[in-house]
Amino acid sequence: MTDAATLEGWTPQIGPGLSLEEVVDKAFDYRGNVTLVKTDGSETEGYLFNRNADAAVPFVQMFDMNGAGPHTIFYREIRTIRFSGRDTAAGNSYAAWLRAKEAARSADRSEKGSGSTPPRGA
Amino acid sequence: MSLPVSQMWAVASYVVRQKLAGRKRYPLVLMLEPLFRCNLACAGCGKIQYPAQILRKHLTVEQCLAAVDECGAPVVSIPGGEPLMYPDIGRLVKELVARRKYVYLCTNAILLKEKLEAGLFTPSKYFSFSVHLDGLREEHDEAVCRDGVYVQAVAGIKEALRRGFRVTTNSTLFDGASPLRMREFFDEMMSLGVEGMMISPGYSYSKAPDQEHFLRTQRAHDLFSTMLANPKRGWRFNQSPLFLQFLMGKRDFECTPWGNPTYNVFGWQRPCYLLQEGYAATFEELLETTRWENYGRRSGNEKCRDCMVHCGYEPSAVHHTFASWRGFRDTVAATVTGRY
Repeated sequence: MTDAATLEGWTPQIGPGLSLEEVVDKAFDYRGNVTLVKTDGSETEGYLFNRNADAAVPFVQMFDMNGAGPHTIFYREIRTIRFSGRDTAAGNSYAAWLRAKEAARSADRSEKGSGSTPPRGA
Repeated sequence: MSLPVSQMWAVASYVVRQKLAGRKRYPLVLMLEPLFRCNLACAGCGKIQYPAQILRKHLTVEQCLAAVDECGAPVVSIPGGEPLMYPDIGRLVKELVARRKYVYLCTNAILLKEKLEAGLFTPSKYFSFSVHLDGLREEHDEAVCRDGVYVQAVAGIKEALRRGFRVTTNSTLFDGASPLRMREFFDEMMSLGVEGMMISPGYSYSKAPDQEHFLRTQRAHDLFSTMLANPKRGWRFNQSPLFLQFLMGKRDFECTPWGNPTYNVFGWQRPCYLLQEGYAATFEELLETTRWENYGRRSGNEKCRDCMVHCGYEPSAVHHTFASWRGFRDTVAATVTGRY
């Protein structure tokens, strides 16, 4: 897992430069809740765990904020997807943890060497 | 190899039946994830990074058993999340053992002593605790991002062994692992009295250029070759010797992503335990509609390029054993001599 920038808070504008399929793929990879805005104006918030663009009628599947589901929603019903929930993967990579641990060790070393213990003969 | 004869026979006869039936794709080990919750938060673990409503969810025992029956694999591995946090884990294991499935409960063992003392489990030849230990104390506690876990796990192992349970270990190794320290770890586990050990490289997906890819694979081969060179007679590994030879670079296999299918609260995971490319509602749908040609090293899929993980390649090793007399002979020879 890398420390790639999070999509948290992103509200994509689907258009010529960004397809619905691309946004669905990003929502599928996203480790947080999203808000799915439908073409009829209604919204569904929850975790998007599945998508199938190869199906005869492409669809996504979600568990809502109460964990109920799966709710199946067809691509053709989706206007856009907001990345509304906290990205639970952000900053949690192994590399980030190693950096934090090394920083803590360095702080510990400098504290021990900062004279907090009186020098001999003082 | 340290597998009980009855387990080897069960797997061997299952594989032969599949081949006689002409099944091109068949599962060997079902990876059954009843929940994603865990009492550790290891950095980089993709299994626990979900919103709260997903972490609160778990499969029912009936859902688990339906998946086991649907899949038909002779071995069921229960990872997670932490399966000892699953409220019905005792009942689930009992039901699986009653079905004569060989069950590996993969645990960090933090709760093991407590659950054993609560009388949740009964020893059986069908049931083994597979304790996650990524090395000796310093390495393991660093890997799981919490001090003291190694000591807890060892206490759990001792208690399980004292009560007559089968206990194995599973270790994931990443770049930077010390072969020497791992050899000390093997000695330590054997001195504890575990039945066998499982080792596998960690999965690292990177869009690295080819040169780096070569080094990654070569580094993995170097690591395992050094680690397993002149193996001590007392070391026992709970996995195919041909897979160990693959890790050492002595053999080449293609991935068998359907060999260890994964079932969890989302359904049947495509295409394998590591990659999440979508979910199927049934096992049949998983087998029939997944584009298997898109996975494995030969596919050119960059996500598969550096992968050498057991869930894809151990089934390949087992398949190789039964694909020809030569494969069978090589497996028997490595098992008998203990040399890889």
